Amino acid sequence: MRRLLAVLSLPPLLAGALTACDDAEETRSTTTVRVLVRDINIRPEGVECAGTGPYTHFHNRAPFQVIDGDGRTLAEGALPSGTSVATFEEDLEVERVPTYCEFAVPVTVATRDAYRLVVDGHPPIALTPNDSEGPALVAVVPS
Amino acid sequence: MTRRRAVRLAAAALALAGVLASTAACSDDEDVPASPAPIAGGASALPGPAPAGLALRPAPSGAPGAPAVTGTLTDGSTLALADLWAARPVVLVFFSSWCGPCEQRQDALSELARTHRDAVAFVGVVTEDTPEDVQRYLRAHRVEYPVVVDDDGAIWQSYAVREPPAVVLVAKGGALLRGWPGGVDAAALDAQLRELVLA
Repeated sequence: MRRLLAVLSLPPLLAGALTACDDAEETRSTTTVRVLVRDINIRPEGVECAGTGPYTHFHNRAPFQVIDGDGRTLAEGALPSGTSVATFEEDLEVERVPTYCEFAVPVTVATRDAYRLVVDGHPPIALTPNDSEGPALVAVVPS
Repeated sequence: MTRRRAVRLAAAALALAGVLASTAACSDDEDVPASPAPIAGGASALPGPAPAGLALRPAPSGAPGAPAVTGTLTDGSTLALADLWAARPVVLVFFSSWCGPCEQRQDALSELARTHRDAVAFVGVVTEDTPEDVQRYLRAHRVEYPVVVDDDGAIWQSYAVREPPAVVLVAKGGALLRGWPGGVDAAALDAQLRELVLA
């Protein structure tokens, strides 16, 4: 009976060990994917926005994946709304000014040498680590 | 017939009666044909004839003509905007179901459209969206006017609309009167309708 219990308990123990190994290999960390869509659209600053012109696929609820250099999906989800940011600092004394549309979405990803962002099936965009304002993977579109 | 067999037969009869009863109950439900809800934003949402004697302000001379585009409604039927503005002013509401500012203003715009039903035709123009999300949005916000699905964004481009929301006001006859990139709330739009088109 004791022998039987030992045999029965072996597979879960092995599985646990393997899982632990996987976890050790896949160190994951939380970061923020930031994408600045430089569409130069005329909007008020600081309002909800979506990409315009060739970038209309950047919008609230647009599906996205963060992939590694080999194309493996590391994280996926839906974009939130963008926020408009002024393209330059001069005060034009009008409400609507030339703006970009910036998206920021938190993700948890395994450590990799390279990261890319796919939005709604469009070609991948290279993401660059940038910790100047907290851990982030950033992209500027067009680069 | 033994007593045991009689009991079995009675039980079977009861079970059969139960099944028949439940089937009948189901049949009753099925007998009432489930009328599918019409597709929101389709041809059934087109306005009726303009009210007889509809008093309108003349469009200012020199106003540019609005692009007289033809589009496809949510149910696949065709709509030529010029057919609508031949009889009354038209309000074009450019939107997407994922657009927060659109959603915030939509209930009031839907109500305004009902207020001016037949006198002023509201038409939604949606792009970068899915049919399911559009239907959900139209039902959630009681949008009872026709909606053109502008999949390739051609109608948006013809009106120089770059992102939702945006609203355009067209006079009877097709003169382009006003455009609101970023949208407009229902109260301001109503005031403009009364100032610019409704006499």
